[in-house]
Amino acid sequence: MMTAKQGKLHIGISETRTLTGRVARFLGAVPTWILWFFVVVWTIPTFGLFVNSFRSKDAQRNSGWWMAWQDGANDYGGMTFENYADVLGASATGGLANGLLNSMAIAVVATVIPIAIAAFAAYAFAWIDFRGRNSLFIITVSLLAVPSQVSLIPLLQMFSGGAHFTLPIIAKTVTVFPDFDLAGTIPAVWLTHTGFALPFAIFLLHNYISGLPRELLESARIDGADHFTIFRKLIVPLSIPVLAAFTIFQFLWTWNDYLIALTMIGGNREMLPATVVIASLAGEFGRVEHLLTAGAFVITVVPLVVFFALQRFFIRGITAGSVKG
Amino acid sequence: MDKVMSTVAAVVFVIVGSALLFVGANKLFDLATRRWSAFCTLVGAGSMFSVFGLLWGNRLIEQPVAVTATALVLGGLTGYVLSIISSGTLRLYVGTVSGVLLGTLLGVFLKQEYRPVNEVLVLILLIGFSLAVGLLIWHRKGRRTSVVRPLLLWATIGWIIGVFFYPQIGPGSLAWTVIAAAITGAGLGAWVGMFPQPDLAMKRDISLGSRKYIFLTPALGFILLTLVIPLIRTIWMSFLTGLPKELVWTGLSNYKYMVTDPNIIDFSDWREIFTSRLFFVGVGVLVIGLIVARISGRRTGDRLDLNGGSLAAFSVALMMFGLAFFTVVRGTISNNLWWIFVVTIFSTGAGLAMAVLTDRSKGERVAKSLIFMPMSVSFVGAGIIWKFMFVARPPVKNQTGVLNSLWVLIGELSNSATAVTVIVVILFLMLIGLLYLAFRGYSAGVTTVTAGSLIASLPFMWLIYRFLGHDLGGFIIHNGEVFSNPILFLTESPFNNLWMMIVLIWIETGFAMVILSAAIKGVSSDLLEAASIDGATESQRFWNITVPQIAPTIGVVVTTLIVVVLKVFDIPKVMTNGNFDTQVLANEMWQRAFTELNFGLGSALATVIFLGVLPVMWRNIRRIQEQRAST
Repeated sequence: MMTAKQGKLHIGISETRTLTGRVARFLGAVPTWILWFFVVVWTIPTFGLFVNSFRSKDAQRNSGWWMAWQDGANDYGGMTFENYADVLGASATGGLANGLLNSMAIAVVATVIPIAIAAFAAYAFAWIDFRGRNSLFIITVSLLAVPSQVSLIPLLQMFSGGAHFTLPIIAKTVTVFPDFDLAGTIPAVWLTHTGFALPFAIFLLHNYISGLPRELLESARIDGADHFTIFRKLIVPLSIPVLAAFTIFQFLWTWNDYLIALTMIGGNREMLPATVVIASLAGEFGRVEHLLTAGAFVITVVPLVVFFALQRFFIRGITAGSVKG
Repeated sequence: MDKVMSTVAAVVFVIVGSALLFVGANKLFDLATRRWSAFCTLVGAGSMFSVFGLLWGNRLIEQPVAVTATALVLGGLTGYVLSIISSGTLRLYVGTVSGVLLGTLLGVFLKQEYRPVNEVLVLILLIGFSLAVGLLIWHRKGRRTSVVRPLLLWATIGWIIGVFFYPQIGPGSLAWTVIAAAITGAGLGAWVGMFPQPDLAMKRDISLGSRKYIFLTPALGFILLTLVIPLIRTIWMSFLTGLPKELVWTGLSNYKYMVTDPNIIDFSDWREIFTSRLFFVGVGVLVIGLIVARISGRRTGDRLDLNGGSLAAFSVALMMFGLAFFTVVRGTISNNLWWIFVVTIFSTGAGLAMAVLTDRSKGERVAKSLIFMPMSVSFVGAGIIWKFMFVARPPVKNQTGVLNSLWVLIGELSNSATAVTVIVVILFLMLIGLLYLAFRGYSAGVTTVTAGSLIASLPFMWLIYRFLGHDLGGFIIHNGEVFSNPILFLTESPFNNLWMMIVLIWIETGFAMVILSAAIKGVSSDLLEAASIDGATESQRFWNITVPQIAPTIGVVVTTLIVVVLKVFDIPKVMTNGNFDTQVLANEMWQRAFTELNFGLGSALATVIFLGVLPVMWRNIRRIQEQRAST
């Protein structure tokens, strides 16, 4: 393993002298201290937001969250759910409750549809023989790092006016995608998320599905099962772990998404998901910051619950999906 | 409540509808082997429904409901009849007649404003041309089938282009439209009718061969529609300028604008890089690193020894040079590069450190979960969480953000003589401890410890110096009274950029940690044991065995982070919206395109982001190819 390629890095086997005694023991304990120091630092921001979300407006403005235990003594009124009631109610903010409903509608469809479509394609790429399969697969999967920014303008144009293709020379315009007037609606977000999820989803599911034992599929085929039956009765049940990992990844991706919803729904306030509602609240930080604590915690709590409940799938999905565009 | 119900209904409708579509397509082609007549009826009806439905959707026909329904019934009927008769001539007749009927239907009900003009000469030329193409293809395919059927199809294609697509649309007559459509129908109908009645093997081929299309079309269609075509269009639009509906070709003007606009990239003060304090600190640390590397190099026989200590010094120097560069060269692109530089290095470094620290330590799982947790928070949520960390209240009020409270606390301490004395004594003792450690390390020959403690002692010296000068921390003295003086983390340029990067580092460190931790656990324990038997210290094992082995994984983490950071949008958008010199490419693109409606410049900026990702895409393709080659 150790080759000349590593240049100046070398195994220092000649150096046998080491530090001993108390110094060594002291040095040995340092890493643990550093680790837990980092853990505390990493947790403080979220924890602070959580504590603050239960404090009254005056309390939040006049002292830090670490003073929460003194709120009663300072006439700030102790713990309160007021912020949550205010931010969820329609009056002050344009309704985070409405936003949560929209978020849920976006996330559910934009998770289920891509996972189904990707499973079909992954199965086809793995187990149906056809010409050009390899190159088609590589082209599809290579698109997974394409940043969503490159699609936003044409997609919005398509959703708001249809897609038309003018044939060169004869100058005839053909409508490829009719104008359904989708701009500003949730279906526009579904379509965009679905398209963007697919290359990664196909990649992830294909890795797993193509690794299933060949004998199993072949014996099913000998028994007379067709592709659809094999897919339904063998592939789907066997792929539950990877389907779960992708479901969690995609659900959180769409739940946490801001850019695509902001672009595709834009000014249609009724349809905005929670992230966009909260982000626009953040724009008026000074006026509504006490609501912002509760609001930010509400949109964060869903991913946190998923995270702590399904950590294993979650980490697998998130880490695999980090290359996604 | 209404809204809840309608949302649930829409969600269920879409999901069930899509499922039925897929299952239906599969069931339909299952019929091909079992119930051929039903299959043919459904295919006939379905294909007519799609053709007329498409015309309907594009608002091309009068009475769309009735016409589409008629076409559907006619198509289904034709399919059924064709499925039961096997005489070749009869099939041809049936196909042709029903094609003529369907064509006439279309011709009569095509909206008046779409009636084509008759242009015979071009029509003949086009048919001739497409016949030639058909003949050539038939010849190249090895003349296996009869020439009549392909030629008929190609002639019909030529006819369709010649009557509907080439000529002027609108002032044409009804009679010609009906003739044009009827002959189109006759051609296609005859082509269908010429297929012989398939035997069982052929039916099986149809059933089996259709599956790849059924399984792949949804995915490839979506990818084409939302990724490939928009990508090409964005690149094309980056060469256009003007209002959204009046874009005209102006070549590279958007790109020229980008490199000349000082908001996007501004090199004008570049000389200040070499006079900034950061640059001098960088040079100093670099010299220390070189000295450390030289000294320990003498022991190992290398000219310069790269170990933990010297590498740490080099990284600090690199960071200082980077900061010197990015605080002087301003603009959107520079900001974005700065983000990439800082976030990538720190997330990878911190992730690696966490991975090493958590490895085999007590409470590994708890520590890892807590560090990974920010990864589940949305960027919007993270931006808001950190807005509260960074908040700066007016000087007369209490600071409610953690960071500014600490800063003000330090200010208060450094302003009181007793506190300073206590702190300086503590710091001094720690400094002595570090120097002692350095000495012990030197005499024991463990240069890493020496270098590490020497470098760690530098901040202590600096802190002592600043505390003795009573000028550390956030406070102002006004008329003898002390006020807090918070740092304006988000509004003070250029370092506000750096503070916002902390948010992304906070998120991405967990990601780097998980990936690298898995890689570290995969390092061969035999090798590590062998080295330890030979007397290698822990840090030697880490730098000489672990690091080289996980180098490819570090590469993956770095490239992934580069892609993530290149597209960073939500955090700047939520925290500053690009104000106070914190603009980044993605936000600039969004503002230019969707608030100024400058689609040309927006597309050009998007193209720049895409070009940044291109090398990573290339790498991915290579990796996948290798993976597939090896299996």
